[in-house]
Amino acid sequence: MEDELFEQRTDLSKLSAAVEQIKVTLGQIIVGQQDTIELLIAGILADGHLLIEGVPGVAKTLTAKLIAKAIDARYSRIQFTPDLMPSDVLGTSVFNPKTVDFEFKQGPIFGNIILVDEINRAPAKTQSALFEVMEERQVTIDGKTYKMDEPFIVLATQNPIEQEGTYRLPEAQLDRFLFKIEVKYPSLEEEIAILTQQHQQKTNEQLSHIQPVLSKDDIISLRALVRGFYVEPKILEFIAKIIFETRNNKSLYLGGSPRASLAIVNAAKALAAIRGRDFVTPDDIVWVAPAVLRHRIMLTPDKEMEGVSPDDVVKQIIQKIEVPR
Amino acid sequence: MMQTLHRKNIKMRVFLPFLFFILVVNLGYGSILLTKPEKPKQTKPAVLQVDTSTAVGVRHFNESALKDYRRQPEFNYNEEATDLSGWTRFWRQFWNWITHLFDFSSKRGLTIVGVIWKVIELLLIAGGLGALAFFIVKSMGLNVLNIFQRKPTTAPIPYSEFFEDINKIDFDVEIENAVSKHNYRFAVRLLYLKCLKQLSDSGLIAWQIDKTNNTYINELTNDEQRTAFKMLTRQFEYIWYGEFLIDAPIYKDIDLSFRNFNNRAA
Repeated sequence: MEDELFEQRTDLSKLSAAVEQIKVTLGQIIVGQQDTIELLIAGILADGHLLIEGVPGVAKTLTAKLIAKAIDARYSRIQFTPDLMPSDVLGTSVFNPKTVDFEFKQGPIFGNIILVDEINRAPAKTQSALFEVMEERQVTIDGKTYKMDEPFIVLATQNPIEQEGTYRLPEAQLDRFLFKIEVKYPSLEEEIAILTQQHQQKTNEQLSHIQPVLSKDDIISLRALVRGFYVEPKILEFIAKIIFETRNNKSLYLGGSPRASLAIVNAAKALAAIRGRDFVTPDDIVWVAPAVLRHRIMLTPDKEMEGVSPDDVVKQIIQKIEVPR
Repeated sequence: MMQTLHRKNIKMRVFLPFLFFILVVNLGYGSILLTKPEKPKQTKPAVLQVDTSTAVGVRHFNESALKDYRRQPEFNYNEEATDLSGWTRFWRQFWNWITHLFDFSSKRGLTIVGVIWKVIELLLIAGGLGALAFFIVKSMGLNVLNIFQRKPTTAPIPYSEFFEDINKIDFDVEIENAVSKHNYRFAVRLLYLKCLKQLSDSGLIAWQIDKTNNTYINELTNDEQRTAFKMLTRQFEYIWYGEFLIDAPIYKDIDLSFRNFNNRAA
């Protein structure tokens, strides 16, 4: 009925088809995790870096690898380990005896889709090497700046910080991730489906058959399209109120930054695109807010001791604010 | 070469007998020292000294010197100072009173009746102080519950929170006004709010400020109703959040669909 009443202002057919294809492709291998997949797609469309957190064995790396496979772009993987050095990630200048000069040898960060596996296994020194490249999409070494190719997406996986041999990511770096996607344990039905699939040894065969769905250029053009979506001023005010409340909430030691506000807007636009709209609704905001805020806010020690989670606080904050209507 | 070796040989022949002689002399002297017998020590027998004198010489303080000392203010340890300030006297009285208050012993010693009276006295004083504090707090217009709570660390929220109460809006009048001004976008918003109010009044949804449109859709249990309300919600969202242009004919269609839904839901 609305299609009869309202003419579509934006052609979202290509985007919708690509999103559907990615969902189908990933759905063949990944059992369940629909929200995770939707957030990953939204993150890519919103030009953000994505942090996937979950206990070992919940297919974090597999999901990230599949998303990378679905995009036809230069992919590289860095396994973060405790002895990894910044130069192992960014690259280093090597002396070339033939030319009698130093030549810059690019590190694995030079790519389009970078899978940083177990990012919190490396100490803060190495993690900090990603600051500049994640925010400014460039690397400065020996006084020379190297620009990254577009699109540049960091897909990082990490175990929860309570796990053995992990280092907490610095707040500055956490803020650079658009979403922190929490991968939960599968339900009983999903667990049975996983066992059936693995038992029949389908996964490896299916993995080899995955074809890229989107090209680099597709992603760049879709991002530009999504960026131009309409956001009602009252909805911007709604976002601002949420972020402002995080800075005044007694349960929180650290609230959301202005980057968090922008992240909510961009993520909500991307989610609207996935849902076939060229405008944002409060539902989009409420849906993306926990994933955008859970790694940017810090609980007070007493709330942490009480077992309150950042998601609980975000939920309480949203409950206090009137939905614009 | 041969001459050098010969000279070295002669030197060795002289040095070795000399070394042998020194060694023998030292060993002989050492053995004499070791075998020398010690002389026995002669000690005097211990004698216990006993004080047999009976006369004790008693010494007296010099009275004149004592008088001199007493006259000096440095040696006056009496606490009764006459130049105490009013503040010091107040606190001294206060602490004397507190000590007296919690002193459960009387002139007749510690008795049960005395203790009970003391407890009653304490309770009466505590009640009086509590009433005084309550009166002060009330007269200052403070919220008693918030007195002992931690103060917020940051400034209060500057934006004005205006919660629109759908129960206080006269929808029919407001919709008519909006339509007369050709403000169809606002009219659709009012239509949607009216619809939410009707659903809330009939107990099909629970109206709350934080609920999104999707939440209300999911609250409806009747499938047909849910599908119809979902469509109305989409129309409202396209017009209100999406700023899709709306004219009189489109508004007429939307108004009709809202009326139909409300009639069915009623």
